[in-house]
Amino acid sequence: MKQLTTEPVACHWLAVRGEELMSIAYFAHPPHPPCPLCCRPFRGPGMVWDHRRPARSLCAAAIGFLSLCAASRPAWAVVSGDTPGASVKEQQLKGLSLEQLGNVEVTSVSKAPEQVWKTPAAIFVITQEDIRRSGATNIPEVLRMAPGVEVSQVDADHWSIAIRGFAGQFSKSLLVLIDGRSVYTQLYSGVYWQLQNVLLEDVDRIEIIRGPGGTIWGSNAVNGVINIITKTAGNTQGALVTAGGGNSVQGTGAAQFGGAIGKNGSYRVYSLGFVRGPQDHSDGGHFDDWRLGQLGFRTDWKFGSRDTFTFQGDTYRGEIGERTFIATFIPPAEPILEDSAGVSGGNLLARWNHQVSDGNGFQFQAYFDRTNLQDVELGETRDTFDLDFIQHLRIHGHHQLTWGLGARFSPSLFIQSSPGVNFTPASQTDTIYSGFVQYELPLVRDKLALTAGTKLEHNNFSGFEYQPTARLLWTPSAHQSFWAAVTRAVRTPSRVDQDLTFDIFVTNQPPPVYFVIQGNRRFQSEKLLGYELGYRTTITRNLYLDVTGFYNVYHQLQNYAAPSAVVGTSPITYVAFLLPYANGIQGHSIGAEVAPDWKINSWWQLRGSYSFLHLSLRDAPGLTDVGNLLSSYLGSSPRHMASFQSLLNLPGHVELDFSYRFVSALPAQAVSAYQTADLRCGWRFGERIEFSVVGQNLFQPSHPEFAGDPGPLVALKRGAYAKLVWRH
Amino acid sequence: MSRHTHTRTCAARPTGFALGPRAAAVLLLALFSPLLSRAQQQRPSEYEVKAVYLFNFSRFVSWPAGPAADSSRPFSICVLGKDPFGAALDSTLAGESIGGRKVVARRLAQPEQALDCRVLFISASEEARLKDILAALDKSSVLTVSDLPHFNELGGMIQFVLQGDRVRFAVNLDSASEARLTLSSNLLKVAVAVKGNPPRGE
Repeated sequence: MKQLTTEPVACHWLAVRGEELMSIAYFAHPPHPPCPLCCRPFRGPGMVWDHRRPARSLCAAAIGFLSLCAASRPAWAVVSGDTPGASVKEQQLKGLSLEQLGNVEVTSVSKAPEQVWKTPAAIFVITQEDIRRSGATNIPEVLRMAPGVEVSQVDADHWSIAIRGFAGQFSKSLLVLIDGRSVYTQLYSGVYWQLQNVLLEDVDRIEIIRGPGGTIWGSNAVNGVINIITKTAGNTQGALVTAGGGNSVQGTGAAQFGGAIGKNGSYRVYSLGFVRGPQDHSDGGHFDDWRLGQLGFRTDWKFGSRDTFTFQGDTYRGEIGERTFIATFIPPAEPILEDSAGVSGGNLLARWNHQVSDGNGFQFQAYFDRTNLQDVELGETRDTFDLDFIQHLRIHGHHQLTWGLGARFSPSLFIQSSPGVNFTPASQTDTIYSGFVQYELPLVRDKLALTAGTKLEHNNFSGFEYQPTARLLWTPSAHQSFWAAVTRAVRTPSRVDQDLTFDIFVTNQPPPVYFVIQGNRRFQSEKLLGYELGYRTTITRNLYLDVTGFYNVYHQLQNYAAPSAVVGTSPITYVAFLLPYANGIQGHSIGAEVAPDWKINSWWQLRGSYSFLHLSLRDAPGLTDVGNLLSSYLGSSPRHMASFQSLLNLPGHVELDFSYRFVSALPAQAVSAYQTADLRCGWRFGERIEFSVVGQNLFQPSHPEFAGDPGPLVALKRGAYAKLVWRH
Repeated sequence: MSRHTHTRTCAARPTGFALGPRAAAVLLLALFSPLLSRAQQQRPSEYEVKAVYLFNFSRFVSWPAGPAADSSRPFSICVLGKDPFGAALDSTLAGESIGGRKVVARRLAQPEQALDCRVLFISASEEARLKDILAALDKSSVLTVSDLPHFNELGGMIQFVLQGDRVRFAVNLDSASEARLTLSSNLLKVAVAVKGNPPRGE
């Protein structure tokens, strides 16, 4: 009698089974149907193109790139005689043993589209394969491929990332999660993108929801949610080493090892580090170099068939080059300082998932996060303790009830490093208590479903908040789905909005004059009422189209109230115009996003996206914006964005990937329209080694994308790097 | 913090040249045309591999005597629900025979039609009624296969799982035993997970 044992690899399977689209799980438990992810060549709308100069240097770069690809693969000619047909390939496959079959690498369509199909929200999923083939070197670069996401780079280590408007280095209306851990800071309700580093090879997928997601995710998910999900430890077994370098990314490397813990568990430990050089500065300043090192681990266990347990953590330390204004009183001036901000931090997260059956189960999650940041402008140490419980219940067979509770405590300490920037009180514990309930009601089985719910939350800045949603999903056939949604979402105040004093030096004409931006304790939440419509269809088996339109109504957006002048006498005599924050802007935005995906055949895929945004904002009656926030809102997000990607598998395990992007002008940032492209050429040598050469921002020697640093606009350099990935 | 207030410093500066659409099209063509004609399929698709698996499983399973065992009838490998295989299943099975019986692919809409199938692939489109389907097949000696999550937990026999870019499978031996199917130990050895105990005497 033969004894059967569950092999260590079992944990792979257990891990895979436990997977579920996190963002989507709440919106819908999609009963069916798969839609092959595919697309069609993108045709831009009537955009204004810049024809001024020819593309000499780009062509040279691209052709040089290409010849590099071709030269290294003399195998073209050899395989050109083949006329591969499905039958030939299947005959080859049929000749394999079961074991060999299990080692065949397939072009897999992610599980995502099936679930995306049934999600009544504007969702886009970036898979690991998409990331690998994008040539992106960090999360912001990865996000460029998603429709409707406005990724603009300020300098080497600062970004503005926004969805559906309100772009800025401190974009406030976006919620970002890494493995369920919220990474927005209650200091300014934004994200320190520099600190959110993950080993890109470990990312399973990134789910991006455009539009309000406040019901489930809570405040701050006003214009979108970005949910970064890493692979389970069971899916990262073995060794992984990566090394790369180039001109912008001067050096990058990572090492990881994953193994089994007993029969039911698996782990991985990793380290990563990088050194990045400054971007292009017309004034010769090279302040924005950036280096960071990070260590982390993840363990996953499966107990029985129902319970999975995850424990993971990361710790990092780095230096972020910056240039800032610092207003001073003695002498009355505002010198520009260049500095390297010291950052460090870490997090620990535990999650218990109990799945009784499909649609029935609960999840309990707890995490701790610490973020320390210190530069010449300010410093902050912030701890966050967060607890979340979510339960799914299947009722009457097809009804789905989801509810949850959450609590967050975030003690922080502000460390003053310049006299002109202060927070009062210096030390504060921010709290959020929240609960949500959502019910999915099938109106016509498998055809029409209504999802309604609300989030209730109490926070220490604005008190009680409610954020309801109602969403309708109609799937008339297996090839089409329509959805519509009405959602209320709020962006709750942060410490900047309520507790800040920020001095700006204006002029030294005696007496010296300053502006003082003041946090306002009566600053309330910014409010959104969003109306959305969406349509998805598979035009042919390989051509998928996703169209979304939205109309957002905004109230109580931030501006500055009427200034009042005061005379200060300490340490010198000066005049200060006090500019308190107020909720004085209202209006609406209208927009659309189109994302076709065409999988022409098993070796060539084309994708495109176009997004349109029109903002119409004005001062609320009786409240005039004396600062420039209104024009900043209006002129910082592109009216048109377009992108195009081609993923091509060539003979001899060569991959040639091209991505193009167009962004229309940002008047408030003094940035004119630009278009540029990335090109990646990858080679696979067997199962273990992958080598790639990537060119980034190839169309011009450099181009600016967003303002933010004192001095002339920083332009993004044409970049190139090579990378080696080894797996064992 | 509020660097957006500092617009006075944002002096405009001429941007680099940009590429016209025609030049972009020419460039794209130049990039791809010499390669397209020579490009060939690199990897099989997920469902091409799964189709071969469906066929190969038949070699590692022995069925009890029953209606489907009639040697004059074709050996049916069936797909219930929306067919994800396209042409891959038909071309995999073309010209094949098992035990002297021609192997055919059949597409079904209802589980009741599956009683004379040897192998039944349950499509992801059937997730909502999976339990009903498995109940309808109870004790019918059909090898049930699916890539639905939780398939084996709910009583399915073979569940495809993706491990990275590789297609593998897990086995629920209890379900197979209940249906009086005997799975070869060679099949179990390759499975990434086996639930249940092998029948005595193997």
